Amino acid sequence: MLAYIVRRIIATIPVMGVVAFFVFSLLYIAPGDPAAVIAGEQASPADVERIRQNLGLDHPFMVRFGEWVWQILHGDLGTSIFTNLPVTTMIRQRFEPTLSLMAITLCFTIVVAIPMGVLAAWKVGTWIDRLIMAFAVFGFSVPVFVIGYLLGYIFALELEWLPVQGYTPLSQGLAPWFANLILPAIALSCVYIALIARTTRAAMLEVLQQDYIRTARAKGIGQRSILFVHALKNASVPIVTVIGIGIALLIGGAVVTESVFAIPGLGRLTVDAILRRDYPLIQGLVLLFSFVYVLVNLAIDVLYTLLDPRIRY
Amino acid sequence: MDRRTLLKSVANASMLAAVGRFPAPALAQGASARTLHFVPQANLANFDPIWGTQYVVRNAAAVVWDTLYGFNDKLQPQRQMVESEDLSSDGLTWTFRLRPGLKFHDGEPVLAKDAAASLARWAVRDPMGQMIIAVQQELTAIDDRVFKWVLKKPYPKMLLALGKNNTPMAFIMPQRIAKTDPFKQISEYVGSGPMRFVKDEWVPGAKAVFVKNADYVPRQEPSSWLAGGKEILVDRIEWIVMPDPATASAALQNGEIDWWESPIPDLVPMLRKSPNVRVDIADPLGNIGSFRMNHLFPPFNDVRARRAILMAMSQEDYMRALVGDDTSLWKSLPGYFTPGTPLYTEEGGEILKGPRNLDAAKKLLAESGYSGEPVTCLVAQDQPITKAQGDVTADLLKRLGMNVDFAAIDWGTVGARRAQKTPPGQGGWQMFHTWHAGADCVSPAPYNAIRANGDKAWFGWPNSPLVEAEIAAWFDAEDLDAEKAAIKRVNKAALDFVVYAPTGFFLSYQAWRNNVSGIVKGPLPFFWGVAKSA
Repeated sequence: MLAYIVRRIIATIPVMGVVAFFVFSLLYIAPGDPAAVIAGEQASPADVERIRQNLGLDHPFMVRFGEWVWQILHGDLGTSIFTNLPVTTMIRQRFEPTLSLMAITLCFTIVVAIPMGVLAAWKVGTWIDRLIMAFAVFGFSVPVFVIGYLLGYIFALELEWLPVQGYTPLSQGLAPWFANLILPAIALSCVYIALIARTTRAAMLEVLQQDYIRTARAKGIGQRSILFVHALKNASVPIVTVIGIGIALLIGGAVVTESVFAIPGLGRLTVDAILRRDYPLIQGLVLLFSFVYVLVNLAIDVLYTLLDPRIRY
Repeated sequence: MDRRTLLKSVANASMLAAVGRFPAPALAQGASARTLHFVPQANLANFDPIWGTQYVVRNAAAVVWDTLYGFNDKLQPQRQMVESEDLSSDGLTWTFRLRPGLKFHDGEPVLAKDAAASLARWAVRDPMGQMIIAVQQELTAIDDRVFKWVLKKPYPKMLLALGKNNTPMAFIMPQRIAKTDPFKQISEYVGSGPMRFVKDEWVPGAKAVFVKNADYVPRQEPSSWLAGGKEILVDRIEWIVMPDPATASAALQNGEIDWWESPIPDLVPMLRKSPNVRVDIADPLGNIGSFRMNHLFPPFNDVRARRAILMAMSQEDYMRALVGDDTSLWKSLPGYFTPGTPLYTEEGGEILKGPRNLDAAKKLLAESGYSGEPVTCLVAQDQPITKAQGDVTADLLKRLGMNVDFAAIDWGTVGARRAQKTPPGQGGWQMFHTWHAGADCVSPAPYNAIRANGDKAWFGWPNSPLVEAEIAAWFDAEDLDAEKAAIKRVNKAALDFVVYAPTGFFLSYQAWRNNVSGIVKGPLPFFWGVAKSA
C-alpha cells in the first residue's frame, strides 16, 4: 500500500506538468491585458505598452513559460502583477477561510445527507422517501446564491442571529469563526446534500436487496444495526466516490458562496485574478486546485481499500 | 453522548441563538466606535497611486500621502504641504516652500528633495505633468524646505496640476521610494498623510487597514475636499471589499459596516426604508457616459456617420438604462464638460437636443457611404455601466439600419482590444463604451478623452487640429473669462467633429449608518472630519 501511495504521489508530477502547460497556454491565448487595467482609463497607449514591457508581458510564449517553470522548480509561484505580493503569500492569506468553509460544509453534508439517503432507502415509496427526494430536487435546482440571500435575509437581517458577511479567523475564537461560516456552509451544502442523499439512497436500495441483509433480518438483528452497520458499509464505495467528486463541486460553489457572504477565500481570489488577468496568480491557483484534486482522488482510492477489503492495488 | 444530552445541547444552542447571543463582532463596543468600516467602490488591488491610476487606489492614497496643494469644493487648488510659493516675473521659475514640521510615517522629515523626486515620478505618468516636463528646464531642491521648478515656457496651470484630484495625483513620497521607475510598482507605502497604511493587515481583494497618524499636524483652515485641516476622528479605518451589492446592503442595514461608497440605484429604495441608514448623492461631479467610435476605419472615419449617431441617439434612453427612473440621478448632456462646474457649456450642443430625428440620421449615414458592413461594438458585460449602454447602442444601430457585430466580452478584454489599431475584421473594433468621472471632465487638463491629436489621442484616435488648437488656447488662458471662451470653442469643435458620443450625465449614491457623521459629497470619499458614535 505504501509503495502504491508513493507511486501515486510521484505520478502527480507529470500530471501537474501537463496542467501547468495547459493553464499557461490558455492564459497566453486568452484575450485581455493586465497592463491596460493597471494603467487606468486615462492612460495613453504608450503608457500601457511601457507597463506591459516592465511586467515582461511582451516576451515570447516559450520565454515566459520557461521563466515560470524555473520559478516553480525553485519553489516560487511568482509575484502577483497587481499587488506586487508573492503568490504564495496571497494564497496563504486566503487558504484558511476556504478550508474552513469547505470543512464545515463537508461535515454538515455528511452528517445530514447520509442519514437522509439511508432513511429514504429504508422508507422507500413512502411519503418520507418522497419528501427527501423532493428536497434533493430542490437542492439541485436552486442556485447557491439564492439560498445564500434567503438565509442572510432570515437569519441576519430579520432575526439578527448571525452576521451577514465576513470571516473571523479561528485564532480569534471558535464561536465567531463558526458564526461567520454557518450560513455560507448551509448554502453551499444544499446541492452537495442533494447529490449525496440521492447516491446513498440508490446504493442502499441495491444493498438492501442482498441475501445477507435478509439473513441478518432473519437472525433478528435490529433495523438500525442492519442499516448503519451491515448495509451502509457495503454501500459506501459509491458514496465515497461521489463525496470525492463533490470536492470539485465545492471548489466551484465556494466562488459564488464567498462572493455572496464576502468571505475572503480562494474562490473570490480566483475570480478577481481572472477578471484582472493576473496571470501568475491564476496559474498558482489552478495548480493548487489541481494538486488538491489529485490528492483527494488519492485519498479516496486509499479509502476504498479500508471500506472494501476485496479492493487491492 | 446519549440522545437526551444531544437534544439538550441542540436546544441550548437554539436558545442561545434566539436571544441573540451568537458572537458579536470581535471588537468591544468602545473599540468599535473608534473603527470605521468602509466598503469601497472596488478592490484595492495595488497601492501605488502613480503606477496604477484606478480611482480606488487614488482614494486610499489620499489618506496616506499628502499633496502640495489640494482642490477645495470650488475646484480651486489650495496650499496643503506648501507654506508659500513664488512665481518669477517672467513666469518661468516656480519656487515652493514646504510647511515646517512635516513628517513621514517612518519619522523622517519631509524634505524638498522628497517633493522634487515625487513630482519627477508623477510628471512622467500624468498628462499635465507631461506638459510640464515638455517645458521643464530643471526641478531641484534648494534646501531642506525649498525647491524650484524652472521652465522654458510659462505654464499657468501649475497649481491646478499639483492640486487636482484626477489620477494620478501629485502625492509626495520619500525620495528613496519616489526614485522608483514610474512604470514599476513601489512596495513600501510610507506617506506623510493623516493615516498610515497597515501593510501587514492588507488582504488584497478583501481588506485594507489604515490607522491614525499621531504625528500628523493638520492645517488650521477648515477642511474642504482635499484642502484644509485633515483631522481624523477615528483611530482605525477598515476597508472591506464586498463584490456583491446585496451583501453590502444587508451588512449596512445590519450594522456590520458603517459607510458604503457606491450602492447601486436598485437597492437605494430599500436602504432608504431602513431607519438606521442615510442615503445621499456621493459625488456632485458625477459621471459622463460615453461611447467612442474608431476614427480610423469606416464607417466612423467619416464625420457624417459619427454625426448621424449623435443625431439619432437619445441620452434619456441611455440614462434610464443606466440608473433607472430616478430622474434626480441623471440629466441630458449636450456637451463634454461636467455640469455645475465653472467651464460647463452647451455651445454647439444642438445636435443632442430636442426630438431625435432617425430619418435624417439614416440619410446622413447613407451619404457617408455606409452600406451594411458589420460594425463591431465592444460591450463589457461585467460592468453594469458599459453593459447598459451597449444594449442601448445596439438597439440604436439596428434602428439606423446598421449591421451590428455585438461583441459581448469582459472589461479586461475591452481594455486590450480597444488598443488594437488593426481593421475591425482583424481584431480591431468600431465602437466601445465607457464612462468618465465628472471630476476628470471639468477642464481639458485631465481630460484625455476630449483630446483629438490623432495617434496620441485616446482610443478611437480622433484627429482634429481645430479641437487641439482650442484646447491649447485654454491652457494658455490666464483668467476664467478667457478659459470659458476657449472651452466654448472646444465644446463646439469637439461636437462638430464628434470626438466621442456623450450618453449623458449621471450621479451615484453613497450610504452610511446614522451613527456616522461628517460625510461630505465629493469626487472621492474624504475620511477627515468623519466621526462615529457608539
